[in-house]
This record gives sequence, structure tokens and C-alpha cells, in this order.
Amino acid sequence: MKPDDIHLTNFFSAEDIVPHCGEMSRDEVIRRLVPNEETYKEVIAREQMGSTVIRDGLAIPHARVATLKTPKVMVATSERGIVWPGETSAVHIVFLLLIPQNQPALYLQILRALGTALKDDQVLRTVAAMTNAGDIYRFFESGKAYLPRYITAADIMSREFLFLHDTDTLQVCVDTIIKNGVSEIAVLDRDNDLRGIVRAGELLRLCLPEYLLWMDDLSPIANFEPFAEVLANERKTWLREILVDDFPVVTPDAPAIQVAGEMTRYRSPCCYVREGTKLVGLIRISNFLNKIFRE
Amino acid sequence: MVKFNYKVLLLAAIVLAVSFGGRFAGLAVNTTQQITLGVFAGVISTTLFFWERRVAAAFIGVAILISCHAMTLHTILKATELDIIFFLIGMMIIVGVLKDLGFLTWVIQTIINRKRMNGVSFSLILCVLSAVLASVVDEVSSIVVVLALVFQVCDTLKLRPHPFVLMAVMATNIGSSATMLGNPVGIFIGNKAGLTFAQFLVGATPVAMASLVATLFITVFWFRKDIRSMTLAMARHRRMGLGPVLKIPYKTGLFILLATVSVIAFHHEIEHALALGGAANKNAFLIMTPLIMAGILMIWRPHRARHYVEKDVEWWTLLFFMLLFAIAGSLNEQGITQNLADSLTKHVSGGPRGMIPLVLLIASLGSAFVDNIVFVAAFTPVIQALVERSADYSVLWWALLFGACFGGNVTVVGSTANIVASGLLEKHGHHPIRFGTWIRLGAIVGLVTALIAWAMLLVFPSPRPASAVDPEPAPVVEELPSLNG
Repeated sequence: MKPDDIHLTNFFSAEDIVPHCGEMSRDEVIRRLVPNEETYKEVIAREQMGSTVIRDGLAIPHARVATLKTPKVMVATSERGIVWPGETSAVHIVFLLLIPQNQPALYLQILRALGTALKDDQVLRTVAAMTNAGDIYRFFESGKAYLPRYITAADIMSREFLFLHDTDTLQVCVDTIIKNGVSEIAVLDRDNDLRGIVRAGELLRLCLPEYLLWMDDLSPIANFEPFAEVLANERKTWLREILVDDFPVVTPDAPAIQVAGEMTRYRSPCCYVREGTKLVGLIRISNFLNKIFRE
Repeated sequence: MVKFNYKVLLLAAIVLAVSFGGRFAGLAVNTTQQITLGVFAGVISTTLFFWERRVAAAFIGVAILISCHAMTLHTILKATELDIIFFLIGMMIIVGVLKDLGFLTWVIQTIINRKRMNGVSFSLILCVLSAVLASVVDEVSSIVVVLALVFQVCDTLKLRPHPFVLMAVMATNIGSSATMLGNPVGIFIGNKAGLTFAQFLVGATPVAMASLVATLFITVFWFRKDIRSMTLAMARHRRMGLGPVLKIPYKTGLFILLATVSVIAFHHEIEHALALGGAANKNAFLIMTPLIMAGILMIWRPHRARHYVEKDVEWWTLLFFMLLFAIAGSLNEQGITQNLADSLTKHVSGGPRGMIPLVLLIASLGSAFVDNIVFVAAFTPVIQALVERSADYSVLWWALLFGACFGGNVTVVGSTANIVASGLLEKHGHHPIRFGTWIRLGAIVGLVTALIAWAMLLVFPSPRPASAVDPEPAPVVEELPSLNG
């Protein structure tokens, strides 16, 4: 810990905790935590975009509030569970975050600190069972729930992603791109090490001999059927022959700004997160924008 | 990191050795001269050990020269040879337009469309095309074009491209010496020597052609197995062809290229007609022609003008050239090249003809390991100093040209074309050509072509620049009879 590290409890006090809510609905809990009508509507609007339950028993409803100067955190617990629309299991702890507009990454930082504080389901249930707001506050205060100094690639990456193997054929690749509506796919070798990626744009380039692309105007050869040969050979073309190794890659602990920089530098819609030789996550630009600007 | 430190130590050792060795050899007799020599050695060594950092080293080198009073800001700016830089900028833009208009695509397509080719005829066409293209555009553009052809043919036939890449590169380096347009070294030497385009053509093209023929024989023999494989693959693949059969419009591009080369060829006559004489206007129209053509082309295609200037001009390389010329100029400014010229005339017997093999050898060996322009820039003031003593030494300009261009064939780092070819091989998913593989063939080609150049320089008279005419002998004053009898 360093002197200027921020602890999670900097954002709330025991008065902001509502223990033992009993069997309340989601909207009732949020109403109880946020008396202000306008802010309440904003939190509900965000919920309607998608559930904020990040794991069984824990929900983080939140909103960016233009008028807010400092972040505000409110906590509600329920041992019996709160029914959360769209979720199969009940929620036992609600952390409601109100974030100022000018601190877009704070939500993710608080999320990381919460992950440290509520390590597993056992801890979560223990906190939910506490009946006293002071005990709950002291629990959080005693833990090492410090906000990380910056958001990392691991905070924003998706751990589920499409991939192909370098022994797959061009046909499989084209089918996967069309079916999933993606513009690029990671390619792994037989040890599941990241070998490269295939880009839809590169597939087009494959159809055209390089020296034809030197020409500014291709209209004089408009009758040329560039795709015929590739189509004829798509079952015999292996991805290892066409993959590219020039793409944005970061390590899981790289700051979010590095991720943004890599994607901008390569003008790529994705950034690949690699740990050693293994691909551990994927950050799509849409996910990145959502995490930073919307969530 | 250990490797880095080892190289830094080696670089420092070279700088110190050259600096103090220069003092010992009588080239650098004072501290400023020693620093100048050290800076020059440092920049050359950086191109050898830290290729990516060569521009940075040149920046620092220039700063050291100014700080140590070896050069002034004014002399540095004068020594950057902006005329040559402008010439190269203009040519790069013209090549960009030729690419854009499909002329270079047409060149490749014409060969792909050819029927009844075999391995030998493809190799011959490849070498001649590489040499001709290198002599009229530039070595880098040429190698990019011919390697696109090599990859297209070899990928279609599922053959290893490496032998054909080597053939193309060697022919490119030789062809680049044939005209002033082929290699920055050519325009630099031509301009420094005061040679016209036509004189350069007369002096350089026969040697380049003879060397190309010799290289063709050597490489075709060397790669006979690969060429035989290509012949068999072509026979098997005859019905399918070597690529898409297309008709590419080429007339506009061809007209632009011919117009540029023609105007450049008659630059001396145009200068004469415009009364652009004297040292201040030396080769003025030679330098201006690419700029005029580039200007006209950019007026014609305004929507692509910015692209040509920003993407087709190799600014990084040109910046390095400017700084390098400035640093090489400091050797002259400090009188080091004069000292070297004195030393050469004193120690090398046989006069200018005796120095030909020495210059050929030094330029070839130097260019084998360091960018050839570096050696040419360093050696130019020495030859200038020698030519000032006797016009007979102007033969050394040619020795320098052939040594620099042919020496580039010896190793993979010998010329920009080699480095570009190596990079293109990797980009196309092939392993680069091994140092040993390259040097085995490169050394033979380098040696044979250097011997050809030496022999031809000895046998045939080389054109002399108009400025390199021996001063008229002073009238003999008859000794007056002594009054004392």
C-alpha cells in the first residue's frame, strides 16, 4: 500500500449501508438507496440496458451523474435475497455506485476493489448475514480493498472469444467470419499458443495479386475475376499460410490507455491479451467503449 | 542487453582507433581533425551495428561537429547536397505516379502473360528486367517490382523463391550502376564529378552490361538445379498459366518515363540553350527535370499529390543522406581528405591507373558491409582532391562507382535493395537468405564484376568531366643569360 492509495471505504460510511433489507424487489432497494428521483431513473435506465449482477449474489447497479462532484457508494444487504429481474438466483449484496461524469474509469476501479474485498461466495454470504451497518463497514474497512491505480487490460477483456487453429482451412475461416459477423479471428497453434490472426481485409487482399493493388484505379481490369482462384482453393489453403502477425497485443496488466493506444496505432477493432504465449482475452473496441463510456 | 553492450563497446573502440589511428597515419594532425574522423567513423559504425539508429547517430554527429568547431551551421547546410536530395525526391514521386498508373503492374503482367517460358528464359528475363528497371527508376523500386513477379511465379509454381530473389538482387545492383538514375551513388558521383548524363551513360553502361552478362552466367550455373525445377514446374503448369491474364493500360506511364529519361538525357544541351553555365549551375537541368516532371504530374493528379509526397518519398533515407553528406563534408572542410589524397599519391605507385584496384577494393569491401552511399560520400572529397592535381585521376570516379555498386552484392547488408529484398522475403512468409548462402555467391559475383570493371577501366578510355581538364602548362620561360656570363 502507498500513502495515496484510495480505499473502497473512502466512498461510503456506515450511514450509507442498509443491512437486512429482507425480501424487497430490485426497484425497491434502489429506491431506498437513491432518494433522488432523477438519479433513481438513471440507475433503473442502466439496469434496463442489461443486468448489473456481476456474479451470483452480487449486483452493482450504477449510473454516471453529471451533477455529482465526488463518487458515492451505497450498500444494501439481504440474507434472504433480493429478486433481480432476469437473474435466476437472488442477490444478497447490492453495491450502488454513483460516478461523476468526468471519472469514467472509476466504476471499473471500484469493481476491482470489490473483487478483492468479496473474494468468494463464503465471504459474500458472511457479509450478507451481518445485521449491523457498523459491522459491515468495519468488514470492508479492515480488508485490503484498495482501488487499483489504473484500469488494466484484464479489467476490460472478454475471456470468451472466437479462435481458429492454424491447421484450419480458409473455408472454415470464411464460414466463421460470415456466421459470427466478425472482421478478424485469433489463430492458435496445436499447443494453443497465439500464432497470429486472420483478417477479413487480408482475405480480400489474398484474392488480388499484390502488384495489382499498386494501381490507384482498378476500373481498367473490372472484368477480372479475382475470387475464382481463391474459391477453388479455399479447402486447400491453410490458415498458417495467410495469418498475419502484425496486430495489437498487450499483457493482462497493461493499462487501459495502452490498449487504446495499440488499437489506435493498428487501426484495429480488437486488441489481443496475451500472457506468455497464450491468448487469455480479447478486447473489442465496442466492449472497450462500453466499459469506459457507458458502464 | 549483453549483445547491445558488446556492440557499443566495439563501436567505441572503432571510433577511438580511427581517431588516434588517423593521427598516427598523419591524416588528423590536430584535435578537431581527430574528432571529425571519430564522428565519421562513429556514424559509419552505427549503420553497421545499429541500422535502426543511423539517423539518430547522424543527428548527434552533426551536433558534435558544430560544437567542436569542426563545421559551422552554414557549412553544414551547404554540405547537405540539397541538389541531389531534390533530384531523388522528384524521381521518387515520378516512380510513385508510375506505380499508381499501372505501368509497373504492366511490366509484371507482360511477363506473366508470356507463353512458352522455361526456367532459363525466366531467369534471363528476370535479370535483364531487374537491371533495366534499376537503371531507369531506382534500385529499391526495381527490386519491389521484380520480387512481386518472383513471388507471383514461385507461389503459383510452389517453388522456393530464394534463388530467383538472389538473381534479381544481384542484377539490380549491377543495373543500378548503369545510369545516374539507378542509384543515389550514381547521381552523387555524377554530380560531384561534373559528368553529364550522356557521359555517365558512355562510361558506366558498357561496364554494367558486361558485368550483367557475367553475373547471368554465374547465377544461372549456380542455381541450375532450381532453374531446372522451374522448367519442369512450368511445363506441368502450362495450361493454368503463371497468374491472371490481364490487359493493363501502360501507355501513359511509359510516356511519362520516356519523357523524363529523354529530358534528363539532353539536360546538358538544354542547359546550354538556357545559358545555364558555370559551376553555380552545374547539371542544373539534370536536377530540375525530375522536379519539373513531378510538379506537372502533381498538377495533373492533385487528389494524389499529397500521397505521392508523403508515402512515395523515402524521407527517412533522404534525411540520413543529408546528414551523412554533411558529416562527410566535414572531412573535406578539415583537410583530412587532402591529407589522405597526399598520402595516397605518396604511397601508391602507378599513378591514377595504379589506384584503380585500390579504390575498387576499398569501395567494394566497404559497400559490402556498410551502405554504399556512406563510402562514396567519404571518398568523394579524396578523389576531388586528386582530380584537382591531375585530370587523369578522374578515372577513379568510375572505380568508386563500380566498387560501391558491385560491392553491394557481396553481403545481405551490402545495399538497400538487398535489405528490402530480405524484408520482402520475410513478409511473404519465407525464411530470409542466410548470411553464408549470400556471401558464397555474392563474393564470386562481386569479385568477377570488380575484375571486369578494372579491366575495362584500364583498356577503354573513360569519359572525363569537362571540369577535369589538365591546366594548360605554364609557358616555359627561357633562362636569361647571366650578365656575368
